Amino acid sequence: MTKGLVMAENFDKYVLKNGMVLLGEPMEAVESVAFGFMLPSGASRLPKGCCGASNVIANWIFRGAGDKNSRQLSDAIDGLGLVRGRSVSSSHIAVGAALEAGNLAEALDLYADIVLKPSLKDDQFEIARQLAIDEVLSLDDDPRHKVMLKLREQFYPDPLGRSTLGDIEELKALTAGISGRIIKDKFNLSQTIFSVAGKYDFDAVCHRIERLFDSERQDGSELAALGTSVGKYTHLDNDGEQVHIGLMTGTVKPTDEDYYNARVAVSVLSGGMSARLFTEVREKRGLCYAIGARYHGLKEAAGVMCYAGTTPDKAQETVDCIVGEFNRLGEGISEEEIDRAKVGLKSTLILQSESSGSRSGAIASDYYILGRVRSLDEIKDKIEQTTVDSVLAFLRENPFGDFTIVTIGPKQVNVK
Amino acid sequence: MEFKSEKLSNGLVIIGEINKSAKSAAVGFFVKTGSRDETELINGVSHFLEHMLFKGTDKLSALEVNQAFDRTGAQFNAFTSEENTVYYAAVLPEYLVEVTELWTQLIRPALRDEDFNLEKNVIKEEIAMYKDLPSFDVMDRCRTLHFDGHPCGNSVLGSEESIDNLTAGQMRDYFASRYAPNNIVLACAGDFDWDQICSIAANSCGDWRQQTVERKLEHGEGSKKIERLEKANLAREHICLMSAGVSAQDPRRFAASLLGMIVGDDVGSRFFWELVDKALAEAASMQFGAMDGTGAFCSYIRCSSENVTKVLDIVRGVFDDLARNGVTEDELAKAQNKILSALVIKNELPMGRLVDLGFNWTYLQRYQTIEDDVNAIKAVTVDDVHSLVEQFRPGEFTQLSLGPARRT
Repeated sequence: MTKGLVMAENFDKYVLKNGMVLLGEPMEAVESVAFGFMLPSGASRLPKGCCGASNVIANWIFRGAGDKNSRQLSDAIDGLGLVRGRSVSSSHIAVGAALEAGNLAEALDLYADIVLKPSLKDDQFEIARQLAIDEVLSLDDDPRHKVMLKLREQFYPDPLGRSTLGDIEELKALTAGISGRIIKDKFNLSQTIFSVAGKYDFDAVCHRIERLFDSERQDGSELAALGTSVGKYTHLDNDGEQVHIGLMTGTVKPTDEDYYNARVAVSVLSGGMSARLFTEVREKRGLCYAIGARYHGLKEAAGVMCYAGTTPDKAQETVDCIVGEFNRLGEGISEEEIDRAKVGLKSTLILQSESSGSRSGAIASDYYILGRVRSLDEIKDKIEQTTVDSVLAFLRENPFGDFTIVTIGPKQVNVK
Repeated sequence: MEFKSEKLSNGLVIIGEINKSAKSAAVGFFVKTGSRDETELINGVSHFLEHMLFKGTDKLSALEVNQAFDRTGAQFNAFTSEENTVYYAAVLPEYLVEVTELWTQLIRPALRDEDFNLEKNVIKEEIAMYKDLPSFDVMDRCRTLHFDGHPCGNSVLGSEESIDNLTAGQMRDYFASRYAPNNIVLACAGDFDWDQICSIAANSCGDWRQQTVERKLEHGEGSKKIERLEKANLAREHICLMSAGVSAQDPRRFAASLLGMIVGDDVGSRFFWELVDKALAEAASMQFGAMDGTGAFCSYIRCSSENVTKVLDIVRGVFDDLARNGVTEDELAKAQNKILSALVIKNELPMGRLVDLGFNWTYLQRYQTIEDDVNAIKAVTVDDVHSLVEQFRPGEFTQLSLGPARRT
């Protein structure tokens, strides 16, 4: 086992002999450190019929681990002042924390227990499952969140868009036995990415992680064959104040050579307050308060995801206006619009780079999707290289169209 | 870190904390005005006015304003609360001067009738959006029920009716009475040139006219009323509890924040172990909010209709136990650790630092270093927390529930 340090500029990398990848980005100006484990057990990686198991598992593993029961573990985490992070995505369960740098070693010991030696008691499983069921039921009282989850489900080919919160019936049928087996199969260290950013000593981190996580190499499980998208238009009735509109169209993946053209195109549509959607939908027509679109990329597929909320009488005009703006984008973009889009993307990148938490997440996600970590300079250069011509050429090859639309509210819209 | 401050002859205060190792800079105008400074007739005007500042000046149209910000890549926005309206931007250091200059212009807006009439639609959409978010709606309504006539109970957004009836003339009057330089703090944090910021302020804001601005300050004891509202389309019961607390000027505010965390942090708190860890409620949190001259503890709980009675019994039990037995040294130490890490991490970003810097000056008229706050949090003792519990009795709360129709 040798230290495979070589990466662009200022990154640390080390691979354990079981294949687990350790990444680091040192940051000079901070006293904090953030770390995370990306475990390949997200919503799309589960066996059929277990939708929501990732959400249950992400809770269950914190309910006692190593020699600590649930309460002792929580107290130990709080005792170190950890600001906890936990999320479920299509591909991963991510767990981690941000903290004062001095407590990193002890924090890693606790998280090693959580990942490797969760107690997985039956009574604790029932509670974790009940909370996951409640979370799905609560979605009905948060139509804005619900519409975007439903949108992903309809847009992405199955199983990529599966709800990260879960399906009620499948959650009800889920058992501790099934969930335990998922953990055994999917918490595969050979496919796990560990990342750290901020103030840390990489040698010390590597020694510790190696001692804690050393294991035999494990074969990876492949993603099940992709199905087809459900697509088109779905309406869910809700007697609320607004119609919540989710709209998505396919575009190139983060690995595509046109990725940065796609990002700039989306930024022209919805990067800032002078971007097209905000200007046309809100500023000129007063149709919405909340309106915005963003790039949403998975490793296997990607899209542009748009949300708008509006009162029922304006819903049709809102959808028509949004679709019109997507369609119109390829017809022409000014130099100024491209410049604003580019400076906005670059500025966001640098502002985020001041946070240890966002850097830790970004390097892990880069490594998972691209197999390497991009430096800030590389990203800045690639954004810089885009032009009006390159973005328009990209849109000619990959026009935004063929929309998947979901609405939740008192009124349906007509989708052409 | 170096702190600087200056006051123009018209009363505008400029403060800055310079951190040359930061990669960005943040600027904010902290206007000491919000819904508590409104009458019923013009309820919602502070927030509406915040929107209208983006509509430009005599020289700039709304689109030109948005373009000017976007050309700098700024992350810019504004927010309005019961007592503050804050305009801010985070940018790369080389753009701070440009963005600050832009804000100084916008703080003297045109307030055109046609912009006002169009933006009314957007405000009404925002009101509708929050009505579809019961977790927000219940807190907004509970605040009104709790403060019960005290101006801190005024809704920030206003109602559809108050917004419908509001005129551009009323907004101009409100603006003229509240946006005086002596009621505004200009703050900067991160990597920036102090002298440049001061000269922009002197040039652009020097001729703003000083005037008397008042705010009625009185402590809000809280009504302790209990109400429940029904909405047919709701799936869950949303419960908000409020009780009185210390003010933003009171040194005991740190103890109050720690008490909020001990009782109701998202994880590891008493609410968490009694309610969420047992899956009786899926969310249960309590936070302390310090305000000008008063303060409040606010809890939010979400559960199924079936669990409501049990959940509320347990909540009463938590507060009874708190009153009888107080908190433990161990609980306090954990809460201190959690607050301290969150504080340090937040303040590593110029934008995070700006908020604390601006509000500390707004409420205390003085500079608090991060170290000052850290020490104040560390100094809180179990006895400090106990005396707060004794004086403010958080178990005697105002309660508002929002839920589906009860089956009969």
